[in-house]
Amino acid sequence: MPEISKYAMVDKGASLADDVRVGPFARIGPQVRIEPGCVIENNVTITGRTVLGAKTRVFPMAAIGVGQDGGDGGPCLIGQATSIREHVVIHGGLDGPTRIGSDNLIMIACQVGAGACLGDHGIFANCTRIGAGAVVEDYVGTSGFAVIGPGAGVGAYTFIAGYATVDRYAPPFAIVQGPPFRVRGVNAEKLRRCGFGEDDIRVLKNAFRDLFNDFSDHARPELLEELSPEVADHPHVQRLIEFIRRNASKGADRHG
Amino acid sequence: MAEVAVLREIDPAARVAPQAVIGEYCVIGPNVTIGPGTVLRRQVSVTGHTIIGSQNLIEERCVLGATPQDLKYAGGPAMLIIGHRNRFEREVTVHIGTEAGGYLTRIGDDNVLMAGCHVAHDCYVDDRTHLGRQVLLGGHIHVQTGAVCEDMSAAHHFSTIGRFARVGARTPVRRDVPPFTVFRGEGAEDSPPAVIGIHEEGIAAAGLDRQGEKELRAALKELFGDGAAMQTKIEQLLNMGVEGEAAALCQFIQRSLQGVFGRHREIYRGKAPPEARQYLPPEMHALLGRSMP
Repeated sequence: MPEISKYAMVDKGASLADDVRVGPFARIGPQVRIEPGCVIENNVTITGRTVLGAKTRVFPMAAIGVGQDGGDGGPCLIGQATSIREHVVIHGGLDGPTRIGSDNLIMIACQVGAGACLGDHGIFANCTRIGAGAVVEDYVGTSGFAVIGPGAGVGAYTFIAGYATVDRYAPPFAIVQGPPFRVRGVNAEKLRRCGFGEDDIRVLKNAFRDLFNDFSDHARPELLEELSPEVADHPHVQRLIEFIRRNASKGADRHG
Repeated sequence: MAEVAVLREIDPAARVAPQAVIGEYCVIGPNVTIGPGTVLRRQVSVTGHTIIGSQNLIEERCVLGATPQDLKYAGGPAMLIIGHRNRFEREVTVHIGTEAGGYLTRIGDDNVLMAGCHVAHDCYVDDRTHLGRQVLLGGHIHVQTGAVCEDMSAAHHFSTIGRFARVGARTPVRRDVPPFTVFRGEGAEDSPPAVIGIHEEGIAAAGLDRQGEKELRAALKELFGDGAAMQTKIEQLLNMGVEGEAAALCQFIQRSLQGVFGRHREIYRGKAPPEARQYLPPEMHALLGRSMP
């Protein structure tokens, strides 16, 4: 039997695995499914069509699956072993589901908009705002007050510095800062921790130098063509180029 | 008026003074002590090994004593000590310490923490500080007496905010802020965070005698008046035999210069700072082991 506080308000329709713990004054809606090993602490609200993956922990005062208007939201799928800290708000999806991968740490007072899509192993520092429909890949890190705008894209292994705003896209493997938005360089420390070799990092640094060295906020498409073949053929650089091509049109109308 | 049953969950093992007021939907954990006259409004959560003194006001939805956000923390016997007469506005979060940082987060007396503030693990907030809305203190930070952090400022791990200093709104603090200065700057390029002046209100609030204030002002003017090498200017001042706050200011900057990236407290990375021994209750001193002087 799940260990549910006598003060918790768990709807009869909610489906809770056997070893789930629910703290006092938590409110769990009828269409919520919670998988084994999850801990829901006190005063948490989980509503909408939310699925919480195994071993996820939700800290006091967080709200998951809520609608943008304060009511119940649409589908909201959260992966395994993710920590959702105090006062975090994750909105349920509208058209598509809000998706959050596994092994993420979403720190205090972060907000995730409807339909946002987060990968795995992310670390989102306090008060990070992720807009509706934003797509964030794996191993992304942010610092306090970072903003990922609605519909923006953030590539894998990228770190967003404090107060920086990503309106369009932040390329993979990068450190970005702002405002004003700038690609600062390669997130070498993170890449090393994730097992990238020094050779890979050097090639990426060369590619970044060619693409972002003029301190323009985003790589100009013609620069992608001018990369030397030995750099451009490297698989990580290929990934970088592909990401930029895929996201190049994002918000271009807004930002010229 | 009809009587309404008031729900709250106070663990039987918690030590709550009879004169404390606990609002509805509050949750108090087993290892918590709350002193007399402290008021908890609705939906406040106090957990972990937490000691709260007397006459504090804790507004709605605050979370005190939760697990640190440090991924290295493995559930050790760390604690949070809060002094007297502090005001915690809505949604303030304060975490307990970590093993590697000296087991203790401490908030002194007469502080004001505005809505949404976060005080992370192993921070030491002294007395009479004012933290504006959504101020973020990363781990291992020392906010000294009388410091003011304006709204949405944020401090990097291991930084120190000096006595009666002022940090501007939205300012990222990535190095130590010297005492009695105003530190401000939002943008990455056009306005880098820096000391931009003297914190007059801070000097007034510190209540210095006339001689001390004169010396402090002279030292501040000397140190921040031009771009000459800081180290030389400090040595000159110390050789002149300055005393009191002026000498403390010089020592503060000297220590910051000796640290990493201008952060003196970086030297405590991975070990307990001296404040841990000063404020931890005696029964926890054994945990500090030989890492302490």
